[in-house]
Amino acid sequence: MHQIAILASAVVDQIAAGEVVERPASVVKELVENALDADARFIEIVIEDGGRSRIRVADDGFGMRREDALLAMRRHATSKIRDASDLVGVSSFGFRGEALPAIASVSEMEIETSANGGGGTLVRAEGGEIIEVRDAARRTGTTVTVSRLFYNSPSRQRFLRSARSEWRAIADLIASTAILRRSVRVLVSHEGREVMNLPAAPSVRARVAALWGAQFADRLVDVDDVRGEVHVTGLVERPSDVGTAARRIHVVVNGRAIRDGGMVRAAEAAYRSTIPAGTRPSVLLDITVPADAVDVNVHPAKVEVRFRDRWLVERAVESAVRRALGSPRSAASIGVPAFWAVPKIAFSPVDVEVLQGPEDASPLLGGSVTAVDIVMPERNREEAIPVPPLRQLRHTYIMFEREDGVVFIDQHSAHERVLYERFMHALEHGDAASQRLLFPLTLHVGPQEGDAFEEHREMFERLGYEIEGFGGHTLLVQSVPAPHPRFDAERCLRESLDALTGSRLPGTASRHEKLAATVACKAAIKAGDSMSDGEMRSLFSALARTVLPAHDVHGRSTVVHLPWDEIERRFGRR
Amino acid sequence: MRFTIAREKLQEGLSAVTAAVPTKTTLPVLANILLETTDKGIRLSGTDLDIAVSTEVLADVETQGSITIPAKKLAEIARELPSAPVKMSSAGEQKVTLECGRSRFKLLGLPRDEFPSFPTVRFNESWRVRSGDLQKLIGHTAFAASTEESRPILNGVLWELRPERMRMVATNGHRLSKMELPITSEGAPSGDLIVPPKALEQIRKLFPAEEDLEIARGDNHLAFRSPFTSVFTRLIEGPYPNYEQVIPKDNDRVALADKNVLAQSLRRMSIIASDQTHRIRLAFNAGMLKLGVQTPDLGEAQDEVPINYEGDPLEIGFNANYLIEILRYMPTDEVRLTFKAAERAATIEPEGWKDDARYLGLVMPLKLID
Repeated sequence: MHQIAILASAVVDQIAAGEVVERPASVVKELVENALDADARFIEIVIEDGGRSRIRVADDGFGMRREDALLAMRRHATSKIRDASDLVGVSSFGFRGEALPAIASVSEMEIETSANGGGGTLVRAEGGEIIEVRDAARRTGTTVTVSRLFYNSPSRQRFLRSARSEWRAIADLIASTAILRRSVRVLVSHEGREVMNLPAAPSVRARVAALWGAQFADRLVDVDDVRGEVHVTGLVERPSDVGTAARRIHVVVNGRAIRDGGMVRAAEAAYRSTIPAGTRPSVLLDITVPADAVDVNVHPAKVEVRFRDRWLVERAVESAVRRALGSPRSAASIGVPAFWAVPKIAFSPVDVEVLQGPEDASPLLGGSVTAVDIVMPERNREEAIPVPPLRQLRHTYIMFEREDGVVFIDQHSAHERVLYERFMHALEHGDAASQRLLFPLTLHVGPQEGDAFEEHREMFERLGYEIEGFGGHTLLVQSVPAPHPRFDAERCLRESLDALTGSRLPGTASRHEKLAATVACKAAIKAGDSMSDGEMRSLFSALARTVLPAHDVHGRSTVVHLPWDEIERRFGRR
Repeated sequence: MRFTIAREKLQEGLSAVTAAVPTKTTLPVLANILLETTDKGIRLSGTDLDIAVSTEVLADVETQGSITIPAKKLAEIARELPSAPVKMSSAGEQKVTLECGRSRFKLLGLPRDEFPSFPTVRFNESWRVRSGDLQKLIGHTAFAASTEESRPILNGVLWELRPERMRMVATNGHRLSKMELPITSEGAPSGDLIVPPKALEQIRKLFPAEEDLEIARGDNHLAFRSPFTSVFTRLIEGPYPNYEQVIPKDNDRVALADKNVLAQSLRRMSIIASDQTHRIRLAFNAGMLKLGVQTPDLGEAQDEVPINYEGDPLEIGFNANYLIEILRYMPTDEVRLTFKAAERAATIEPEGWKDDARYLGLVMPLKLID
């Protein structure tokens, strides 16, 4: 029989260390958060050997008195909360009071701190045992040095990865913290070299530029949207740039960096139909919800949170990102545009509600109507979009001049986008125009196409196709959609069935999207089709009225902008 | 080659031919016209490979020969010349000298053998048709042909020649127009020809109404011939769809309407109709037609037109442009519309037309939103 015994506190601390301190990066995280909780304006971080031999974090925060410094080494000693009620809506990074003792239990730790400048304290501990306490001279603030991490825990030490990969984890963590607290100056050195020098930054964009370069910052589009009680801000990657550089993910909820796949997926959902499948965008999101709508005390390292209503927050994220991608600023750009220049935009602001349609429109032929009676909606979108003179190039692109440069529109991509949104609307509302044919089309299809048709039959009907399966693999088409005068209904149907072969997507929404994207691609005017002036004008205003005008359904750009700066530079005018 | 021609004669010949000369072409010689001397004068020819026009004008020929010269430049020169005899001569194969009064031009041409040869059509089995009758058929039907490349057969106008009548039919699969005229032909064979509307349009403009035309069929070409001018056109191959079968015989709802009032109302409604589908809604009730249009992003409109309609009320949707277009070609002030049901073909015919021709328009409906 084994006897049950209460564990010695050193053992308890080591067990806790297993939860809180998995690797050097978690030590850095705890120490930096402590510094931030101490209102530091400047944090200096020194890392040696990927944090395995030494981690030093010095701050200019409010420091500790001697008694506090000694107490901090004990478990559940914290200055940040006093009783359980403080747990609701806790705003400091740390509060559980287990970090320092846990780290101390698996390393040699030295704390040098002063609460009033000059007279300070130095505490040294080994494996959690305090071995030295003495006076030290220090400016107000705290320096914590952690050496020989896991020296007394060989099993953990064995699980440490190379210095390089531990350093990478630390760098990611520092970056994420630096974005979060951009008013704090951060100086980082690794192996004796200064690797990051981040001055206090006025905006996330400036901090991102300092961290990953101005070029990376320039590929990001601002997000800022409020939906109910949820406020979403941040930066997301322009769809045309997605997949061309390292992906950065950064999610903050109520000022706390977290890992949350759901929020990232919600943001990615907003990219649907603008980027190729399989590529994933960089996303930096700052989500603010009421303090009582989120529980942060579900994970020892606090990297996960629990939302009262997760769905509501994800919806807000998706709509905020979608709105950001709908702005013309998210269109691809040629050359290097001026960093802060916000272009004057020819498109009128795009309204996300455009596709909703008038739900309470008055019945069409009801009542006795005398003479002509024309009712216009309050916002007359037809008038709101001024169409500049357009010119077709190579029967493929439409070019026009804007205040800030020359803009090119890819006619096929643009039309595809217009039709996609129209077809999506038709699929959801079933109001597509359907032209009855004088001579029904007879289509002979293979077994797979036949299956694809059966699978999507009802949706094709919603798009305006009226098709009778004729037994076997013959389809008799009685009516066809009439999206534009050049529409080739037979070819579109045949190619769409071909493209849909074997696709069995779960969920109506994704099936709608796939079908709308497929049919839009097949139905859109092609590159090489000559367009009349009227057709170009009508495409232009239709595109401007779409929700995501700058990208086609495959993630290519519909619009490319060549700034005057670039042109002038090439002509040597600047 | 050397000849003298009256400036007016030169212009007359050029105006007949230049319509067939393409404005843009990848084959440079097609931008030229072919000049050949004949017994009585000169022959001018132009082609875009689909249509070829050749016409003969009187001239005083000194030495025989032929050459091709840029059509556009020659036409512009002829227009600006004083009214005086024009002397043209070519020394080598590629240079033409043109003199008129004190003006003198030298034009660079291309050798004659680069110019495509015209199809050979034998006129031993030919039809004789009065140009005016042909103009009438073309003018009322060709507009309805398809301009889409998806079904090439519908890009042509079907021309049926029978011993006692001739008929033209054109459709784009959504609407159709059909006209027929009684004719008297002596022992000519029956024929079904599918002709590109562009060629028919040239023929309609080229020949005076009172002229008699001789028409003959080659392997895959059709030739039209008057005493001085010939036109050749490519024919479209293939069987034309069975249009007789789709023209409804049992439409039992009939409306009589004033063509102009109806067309004006349709034009008003189409302002609000969608740019893409032009969808409008018609509601027929006893004595009154209500027109309505509703376009999600734009707005809505209603109108009323008094009509003569008996029968059950009917609501039906259409592409407004198809109705407006067919009404434009209706020769009478009053038109007769017939229907069966909201998803079946509607017909439009002239009402009270004192003419031996018979004319019919047909439009397929658009599905209405419920």
